[in-house]
Amino acid sequence: MSQGDAPPVVRNGPLWRLAARRWRRRPLQYLLCILGIALGVAMLVSIDLASGSAQRAFSLSTDAITGRTTHRLVAIGPGGVPDATFVALRRRFPEIPAAPVIEAYGRAEELDGELMRLVGVDLFSEAPFRGLLGGDGDGRGGGKGAGGRGFVPFLTELGTAVIAADTAERFGLHPGAADASSLLHLDLGGRTSPLRLVGSVSSGSALERRGLETLLLVDIATAQDLLAPAGAPAAPALGHIDLILEGPAQEQAIRTWLPAGLKLETAAARGNAVQQMTAAFELNLTAMSLLAMVVGIFLIYNTVTFSVVQRRSLFGVLRCLGVTRRQLFTLILGEAALFSLVGSLLGLVLGVVLGRTVVGLITQTINDFYFVVSVRQISLSGFTLAKGMVVGVASALVASALPAWEAMATPPQMTLQRSSLEAGWQRLLPWFLPAAFLSGGLGVLLLRWDSRGLVAAFAGLFALLMGAALLMPPVLAVVMAALGRAGGGFGVVARLAPRDILRSLSRTAVAVAALMVAVSVIVGLSIMIGSFRGTVVTWLDQTLQADLFVSPPSTTANRVLGKVDPAIVQAVAARPDLRAMVTYNSFDVHLADQDRDITLIAAGGDVSAGRRPYAWVRPGVDDPFAALAAREGVILSEAVYLRDGQGAIPEQVRLETPDGVRSFPVVAVFYDYSSDRGSVLMDRSQVAELWHDDNVASLGLFLAPGVEPEAVAAELREGFRSRQSLLVQTNGALRQGSLEIFDRTFAITGALQLLTVLVAFIGILSTLMSLQLERGREFAVLRAGGMTPLQLGRLTLLETGLMGLLAGTCSMPLGYVLAWVLVHVINVRSFGWTLQIALEPRFFVQSLLVAVGAALLAGLYPALRLGRMNISEALRQE
Amino acid sequence: MPDASPASAIELRGLSKRFQEGESERTVLQAVDLTIAPGQFVVLLGQSGSGKSTLLHLIGGIDTPSSGCVAIGGVDLTALDERDRTLFRRDHIGFIFQFFNLIPTLSVLENVTLPGELAGRPRAALETAAHDLLGRVGLADRASTRPDRLSGGQQQRVAIARALLHQPLLILADEPTGNLDEHTGEQVLQLLIDLTRQQGRTLIMATHNGAIAGRADRVLRVQEGHLLEASAPAAAVPA
Repeated sequence: MSQGDAPPVVRNGPLWRLAARRWRRRPLQYLLCILGIALGVAMLVSIDLASGSAQRAFSLSTDAITGRTTHRLVAIGPGGVPDATFVALRRRFPEIPAAPVIEAYGRAEELDGELMRLVGVDLFSEAPFRGLLGGDGDGRGGGKGAGGRGFVPFLTELGTAVIAADTAERFGLHPGAADASSLLHLDLGGRTSPLRLVGSVSSGSALERRGLETLLLVDIATAQDLLAPAGAPAAPALGHIDLILEGPAQEQAIRTWLPAGLKLETAAARGNAVQQMTAAFELNLTAMSLLAMVVGIFLIYNTVTFSVVQRRSLFGVLRCLGVTRRQLFTLILGEAALFSLVGSLLGLVLGVVLGRTVVGLITQTINDFYFVVSVRQISLSGFTLAKGMVVGVASALVASALPAWEAMATPPQMTLQRSSLEAGWQRLLPWFLPAAFLSGGLGVLLLRWDSRGLVAAFAGLFALLMGAALLMPPVLAVVMAALGRAGGGFGVVARLAPRDILRSLSRTAVAVAALMVAVSVIVGLSIMIGSFRGTVVTWLDQTLQADLFVSPPSTTANRVLGKVDPAIVQAVAARPDLRAMVTYNSFDVHLADQDRDITLIAAGGDVSAGRRPYAWVRPGVDDPFAALAAREGVILSEAVYLRDGQGAIPEQVRLETPDGVRSFPVVAVFYDYSSDRGSVLMDRSQVAELWHDDNVASLGLFLAPGVEPEAVAAELREGFRSRQSLLVQTNGALRQGSLEIFDRTFAITGALQLLTVLVAFIGILSTLMSLQLERGREFAVLRAGGMTPLQLGRLTLLETGLMGLLAGTCSMPLGYVLAWVLVHVINVRSFGWTLQIALEPRFFVQSLLVAVGAALLAGLYPALRLGRMNISEALRQE
Repeated sequence: MPDASPASAIELRGLSKRFQEGESERTVLQAVDLTIAPGQFVVLLGQSGSGKSTLLHLIGGIDTPSSGCVAIGGVDLTALDERDRTLFRRDHIGFIFQFFNLIPTLSVLENVTLPGELAGRPRAALETAAHDLLGRVGLADRASTRPDRLSGGQQQRVAIARALLHQPLLILADEPTGNLDEHTGEQVLQLLIDLTRQQGRTLIMATHNGAIAGRADRVLRVQEGHLLEASAPAAAVPA
């Protein structure tokens, strides 16, 4: 063609028409593919939306409180900021806006027990910060009621509160009304106090309204009154002081002035800390949902390969007629893009629906382990939805690239040959082994690269799974060839089944690999969760030795947020039926070595009565708790140094006290499965001395011999009801409760497992249906030759059963490897927990049953369809 | 399942077949009546799409008529259910297709013994008979070969052996030489005719090839849904 010639005209219209006809002829095949993509995307999106919503709910409600705060003055330790500090600050820096705040969490019957964030504010200092009450002209809120009728009582009367207008409406409350419809009974750490609603707040912005939904605003004096321990001698402290600082000069001035026991932090720092807390938990969930996508990729690959294989003669004819390679490539990728787009869109819708279900489970776990949050609805994040779309479409394009390239690269006469693709696979077969070992090796390297944290660990895990999947074609070839030979004596059906699988290796291997990966995830997670549960049960048995446990009823199941009334502590300690009493209290402390907060546990005695197993004890130390009592040092939980690959057990830890950072020798390391952020045990008297806090959050009671725990429990509950309602649990009940939290934490994992298997099931079903369509004529010949529908059904089920059996068998060792990685690498890096792997036969039997069951179930429909086949019609097709 | 009598004829009574094509209905065969005596070699002629294959499928019980009945050896196929029709076919009918239709995953020997194995006959006896038949079709040394290693003519010879092994009453051949060159086609045809004649089997063959008609006992033509008796089995009968 000379340079002056017009470029050749290329029209793709006819090709798309041909493709569309095929979609109409084989709708089920494409529908299954779309469903597979949709489920994969849905899992990813739902997990992302649910955990994102919990974060967002927390940050929205935090933002509503933070307002324009740039910095905050907080106490080092649990005591809070003294009232006097606020007065001194205002005098010293009259030009700096400052506002005192107190925060707590509680529940009220009138609000159906929903978790509310109680915020105590000083109305006179509020204006520059939030404008929640009374409105300050910046458009952030604007109080309704509080600024008018309710304003005076809010300021002048104790026990009054303001609530979000939406929340009041939802629960049929009428702020400002004279009757009971304005009354709340708020339970804060076991003490119930009446609160009268005198006003409501709202906002023009929907986001802000959501932030306000769970807030209960009270005057600072009311908050102090509600939270003060009964009979507290002095005026209680403030939670923190919000500041608006302009420039580093003001910041420096404050730092210089700062009284001992207080520190200045930026408002943003807290949000970051909260996000970091749950990062590992969320990454684990995302990785789990990505697994389903990986299985989904197998499914897409299979569907596209089938669509190419089944149209090989058509493509051959088209190539002969002048269709270019590029056109074929574009057609196949275009089809994949189209279906993945539809699948991804469906996935987004499903993801949102699923997200609504999952958000409860995720919020529960976050409440149990990390921070208090109440999520009423999921936030639709554009980024999450876009990510779901991109992952769905990109996966489909990647999975389709190989078959599309194959169709494009094959010369026309080859495309016409039936066996060219299978022959190509047979030639490739020896190369799968080195590829598998390469991928597996890469996985091992990534997993051993221990300073690279969680992302590398998950990448390693995925590489291992990919290696195992690459091993499947040669394994399938060897096993089926052997079975084909061995099946000689068991009739023609037994001989045909393995040979048929072998003949369609390019498709059957992918389906079996997908099922194997999915089932290995079940085995791996079952072993991990089983081992985890076993470890926790043993740990609880060894650690919890007291007969009774007393604490205020908590807003969260795993952590105690309230304190036991000191008078009650004294009264209980004086009981003659006690052999011993231990006390516990905990609060956040800054670990200067790692610049992060951990939990400081003030232990007044050992609740395990010396039975607690230790991960490490300093040589020369006989009893770590005795060393603690002697103030020789502290006991760390594993998570302090194991998380994020921190490494070796430290000699000392540096903790921030109100009087500056202090070093404490480490005398032992204990196992703590109740928290993943790390905790440090210190003697109660030392904590009281250094952090000026002698509160008690819970008591462990060792009863004298012969004393009935239930009777004492009932006595304690009733005896102190007027002062504080207490949660008194027997040893058995506490253990049971702990295991319930454990099971609840892993409920979401179970749901993810199920969905992954569902995707694999769709893969197997789609594969079998496609194979059946492809071999319709061959089956018709068998039927014409005298094979009964029952025999044909048996053949189909034998084929699928064999595929399921192989997938199930291979998933066992792979599942074990997965569990090993989860237990020894992922769990340690995510949460800092070491677990003992416990193998139970049921994990393996279960997975084998799932694999074979899923495969047989997937074979059922094709078997039924084949039984009804029109032999004459099928014979005419070619 | 009633057993067929080798002495009985093949009878078609009022046999019709209609296909639904979109909104309309197309009649392929209309009230066909036919009786074929045992041991006859019958050739079915007709243009492409005239209904020859449909007629063979109806006689073989792999398709069901819209109306009318097919009786082979005294057994009314149309009165049997799907399973019994299959079992009847397995025991009494042999098929030979234009595209050979051998099972690619089975060896030549296994392809030949397939119908017998499906019927649960002893494998040793089947293999002996199959080796004998393969010897007669000239493929004694290819018993363990996979079909894709054979030429078209060889594959069709395997198909003939498969169709004859269980000594069926009736052999139905649909364009058995349609996919072979003239020389090979002739060889295969001769082999098929010789073997069926030796065994005294009934052979019904659909073909375009008018030349074959000269060797048949009877020549029929399918035309516009009707079955017409051709005047004389002569070499000159046009397709």
